[in-house]
Amino acid sequence: MKLVLAYINPFKLEEVRDAVKATGASGMSVTNVEGFGRQTGHTETYRGAEYDVSFTPKLRIEILVSDSMTPAVVSAIETSARSGSIGDGKIAVMPLDDVIRIRTGERGEEAI
Amino acid sequence: MTHPQGGIYERLRRSARNPIVRKNVAVLMTGKMIGVGAVLMLIHWFSGTAAFAADPAPDPVASVNAINTMWTLIAAFLVFGMQVGFVMLEAGFARERESVNILVEGIADTCICGVFFWAIGFAFMFEDGNGFIGTHGFLLQGLPDTYGATGVPLLAFWVFQFAFADTASTITSGAMVGRCGFVGDLLYSVGVTGFIYPIIGHWAWGPDGWLVAKGFHDFAGSTVVHTIGGTISLAGALALGPRLGRVFKRDGGGPMLPHNVIFGATGGLILWFGWYGFNPGSTLSALDVQGIGRVSFNTTMAACTGGLGALFISYARTRKWELGLVTNGFLGGLVAITCPCYWVSPTGAAIIGLVAAFVVIWGLDLLEYVRIDDPIGAVPVHMMAGIWGTLSLGLFATGEFGAPTPLGADVSAPLAGLLYGGGMDLLIAQAIGSAAVTVTVFVIAMVLMYAVKATGTLRISEAGEIEGLDRHEHGISAYPEFVTHAAGPILSHGVGTMPGRR
Repeated sequence: MKLVLAYINPFKLEEVRDAVKATGASGMSVTNVEGFGRQTGHTETYRGAEYDVSFTPKLRIEILVSDSMTPAVVSAIETSARSGSIGDGKIAVMPLDDVIRIRTGERGEEAI
Repeated sequence: MTHPQGGIYERLRRSARNPIVRKNVAVLMTGKMIGVGAVLMLIHWFSGTAAFAADPAPDPVASVNAINTMWTLIAAFLVFGMQVGFVMLEAGFARERESVNILVEGIADTCICGVFFWAIGFAFMFEDGNGFIGTHGFLLQGLPDTYGATGVPLLAFWVFQFAFADTASTITSGAMVGRCGFVGDLLYSVGVTGFIYPIIGHWAWGPDGWLVAKGFHDFAGSTVVHTIGGTISLAGALALGPRLGRVFKRDGGGPMLPHNVIFGATGGLILWFGWYGFNPGSTLSALDVQGIGRVSFNTTMAACTGGLGALFISYARTRKWELGLVTNGFLGGLVAITCPCYWVSPTGAAIIGLVAAFVVIWGLDLLEYVRIDDPIGAVPVHMMAGIWGTLSLGLFATGEFGAPTPLGADVSAPLAGLLYGGGMDLLIAQAIGSAAVTVTVFVIAMVLMYAVKATGTLRISEAGEIEGLDRHEHGISAYPEFVTHAAGPILSHGVGTMPGRR
């Protein structure tokens, strides 16, 4: 079992959601995040003063997947979130020790 | 046991040395003196008024009617207040990323409108010339002290009409929200408030307009303000195309979500309030007492039935009582009653408002079907309900009311519509006027919008649109504190910080 963690451009959310759904993944979570990478922030202007906003808004997506589904989900995000310009984001894949569905107490792949 | 008087004396001495007590006493005494002064002033004023009442001074400018001037100015200020309603309605029903842009545009359009309506607009619209355009009074030069036979000073009348022109100008931006570049907005706004609105408006409201001669009537501007504004807005939306990522209903999408429905609805209610200047004020006469009462009533009733109509239509469709639709519904009722408000009965007003609710909702459906992105519904509410309202006069005019005059109602030439035994004449005149204005404005506005498009300023760049109009064009988001700031202002190329700012 894997945890797929992706940081994507906010305007790509719909496409990524549709692509992930199409792979048959059972769900995903989305969080608003801000940060910097190669793409640094921007400036805001107020009454003539410029403010350095070092962080760019992004979305963090978390998906729990079985090992067999992992390549499909990762490539779905990769293709749907790509615009080709700087700031398209990153995908990370991490091993999972266990998954528990709280309502039923199911464990492991059954709970995904 | 201390002597009581000595005790008081001691306490006074102590208190007088205490700076806090001294300050408090000073404040108290100053307050009392201001109060006494105010009372004396009031007595002075009232005795002065009484003296005038007993011995009226001769009116220095006999043609000026003071109460009509007051009425017109109060109405003008109410109509100006509609700007608040418009920017709130538009910003609330738009996305957060384009709401600062709406505010800057609303303010800039108002300022442009003031300058251009003073320089050329008023002359084009309200002064003599020919049936199509006024040719006198540029920069308001060489005009008499009062406007026509209204008894209202020219400059007061100008302020009232400026507020109307500004309304048309702001309506225009409605369907163009979210992707129109700021420079493009400035350019087309000059075209709208300097030329299109005043010149086409002259046809219906000018002293010698050709539509006036045809028997066309538009009391407060269903056609002149709302159809013109909404039609230009439609041309703008067509020239721009939809916002990036806008998917229409027939393609499995729907309107982009608004960012603050509370702003949207309160903005709508402020517009309703401002409409009490727009319609009743258009009598320009407080002495037509039945007239201003009737117009106020009809305005209220059409808004109520328009709102109720839209509310129940929304429930019938989605099983939800929708805020966005009820707001657009009462606004549609208000737009529709703007033309016929002086000449129809309460029943007529109620029916006109109710029909407007259907016009607005079907209009929204139609735009969605033909894939036109109108983020706040400016085209159905202003253009389509405006056309309906203009035509409705030809059906519902009761045959009892003629025109307001500075000293009261003139019923020598009452208007009667088809349903009140007046025959087809008025309906035909209304249809000709509405069609002539709508078609002409649409053609001219398409030329204007494509001309601005040719300069490359009408639509914002794709990168700018993805970043959001607010940050791209204006350098700030509507709620800057919601963005995580690392530092304060850049004092010199990124080295400065302002402590205390998140």
